Amino acid sequence: MAAMKKRIDLALFTALGLAGIFILLPFGSSAEFSFREYSTDGKLLHSFAPYRWIIEQPEFLSHLLLSFKLAFIAVLFTAILVVPSVAWLHLKAQSFRPIVEIVTLLPLVIPVVALSIGVQAAFPDWLQSTEYELPLMYVVLSLPFTFRILDNGLQAIPLKTISEASRGLGANWPKTIFYVIAPVMRTAVAGAFFLTFALSLGEFTLTSLLHWDTFPTWVTSVSQQNIIGAIALSVFSLAVAFLILLLVGLFSSRSKKRTEVAE
Amino acid sequence: MTNSYVSSKGVSRKGGTFARRNLIIAAPLLPLLAYLTFFFFWPMFAVVVDSLKNNDHQWSLINFTTIAQKPYSTAFKNSILLGALSALFASIPGALFAYIIEVRGSEKLKGFINSLSGVLANTGGVPLAFMFIATFGAQGSAIKILKSLGIDLYSGGFTLFSFTGIVFVYLYFQIPLMVIIFSPALHSIRNEWRDAAKNLGATPRKFWTTIGVPLLFPSFAASFLLLFASGFAAYATARAMTVGNIALVPLVIGTLVDGNVQVNQANVGKSLAVGMVLISALAMIPYLIIQRRARRWQQ
Repeated sequence: MAAMKKRIDLALFTALGLAGIFILLPFGSSAEFSFREYSTDGKLLHSFAPYRWIIEQPEFLSHLLLSFKLAFIAVLFTAILVVPSVAWLHLKAQSFRPIVEIVTLLPLVIPVVALSIGVQAAFPDWLQSTEYELPLMYVVLSLPFTFRILDNGLQAIPLKTISEASRGLGANWPKTIFYVIAPVMRTAVAGAFFLTFALSLGEFTLTSLLHWDTFPTWVTSVSQQNIIGAIALSVFSLAVAFLILLLVGLFSSRSKKRTEVAE
Repeated sequence: MTNSYVSSKGVSRKGGTFARRNLIIAAPLLPLLAYLTFFFFWPMFAVVVDSLKNNDHQWSLINFTTIAQKPYSTAFKNSILLGALSALFASIPGALFAYIIEVRGSEKLKGFINSLSGVLANTGGVPLAFMFIATFGAQGSAIKILKSLGIDLYSGGFTLFSFTGIVFVYLYFQIPLMVIIFSPALHSIRNEWRDAAKNLGATPRKFWTTIGVPLLFPSFAASFLLLFASGFAAYATARAMTVGNIALVPLVIGTLVDGNVQVNQANVGKSLAVGMVLISALAMIPYLIIQRRARRWQQ
């Protein structure tokens, strides 16, 4: 029995060890690379010079701010368009669920490259001449994920029952929405927001094919003159993306726990 | 049809109220639908229509006969191969890893692996490409360490900026993706079934050949298809890593959009896009159908 237990642990630890190397090797290497500096006689040193170089670039802050702004707009549209729709689906429109499920999954089936070509062919000039076309599209690209997060979050909450209870106790609709529906949806909504935000911040394909310059596309253009700088920028953006996505994970696991309690 | 029911008063009351009720229920969903129509369905419709038109705006299949020839056919072949190989090399280790974690890991570990995989599967794109250049590029840290140990990969003909290199880099998001989508299937193999088989005298091998594998195979195949579609259509990583030396469909579309190359047909890019959609759909639609069916017994 003891021997068996040892063998079991060995398999698990081998798997975790390999996964650890798989994950950490590229991260560690790029972290090391991002501090590289070559002295005048060609010797390899390590310093903060690549990061100083980044901050000195005027485009750094402007592109970063632009990306944040566009991501924020995408979140806003998700909030006013997607969240109420999913809530309504759970409240009254259960019969429409199969259709909505399929329609919201479709952006996952269509390659972003193909969609970008379509946007270029179809959108009127006034829309294509403003960078705000990007967040409007980011909403579509993140829809398969945001719908699922919201839908899963609401699945175990008897939204219909509790809102009927609230109405039955004399609360009007606005009161029910603000004091009953909004609080129970909070974690799922936060998860959907973070995901939209992270996806929009890192979006490259559509942005570059529509010839816009945001933070990720700027990083690629930097790589052509300063590869160490580009790697330092990648380390920076991965750190930000990791943070945001871990928050998503945290929120979704918290909402799961909550639904388990509800059951 | 719904409209005519509502507007014409001669319809039986029962039918009228039913249609009206349906319309009222659907109304709050209409803004989202309208949004998707404009920002998703319309662009896709435009691609299909334009792909069927020649330079004189007449209906024609010339774009499709063009992309059936070189160099476009090569790009399709490469992209399909990239999707298939990256899916193959990711699905097997991914499934094994998910299995070990599912069977032997604690609940806490499972949750952690799940969150981490979610993060890594989304770590595609430009940063991923540069991360691998820093690790396995000619000046990369891992390459340097190996060199100091006497192993010179680059003199052995290895280069990150090749087809093999791209397959290798894609594994970094494909394996975690496999872990995420395959774990639910593993989770649903109930311990009771294993115990029941054991009590009825089945060996572990018998359990796997008659119960485990037949149950898991549809989910495995579905996961493979999703991975294929993801590797086939990925753009950002390949774009940041290559300098036009490898013909992949998304990259060819990219150069056409940038106007870097002149082509005889103005709408070749659109027919390439339609080709991509068809191949992706061929993989994704079976995936979605299998997932739906599997969910029935997974609950």
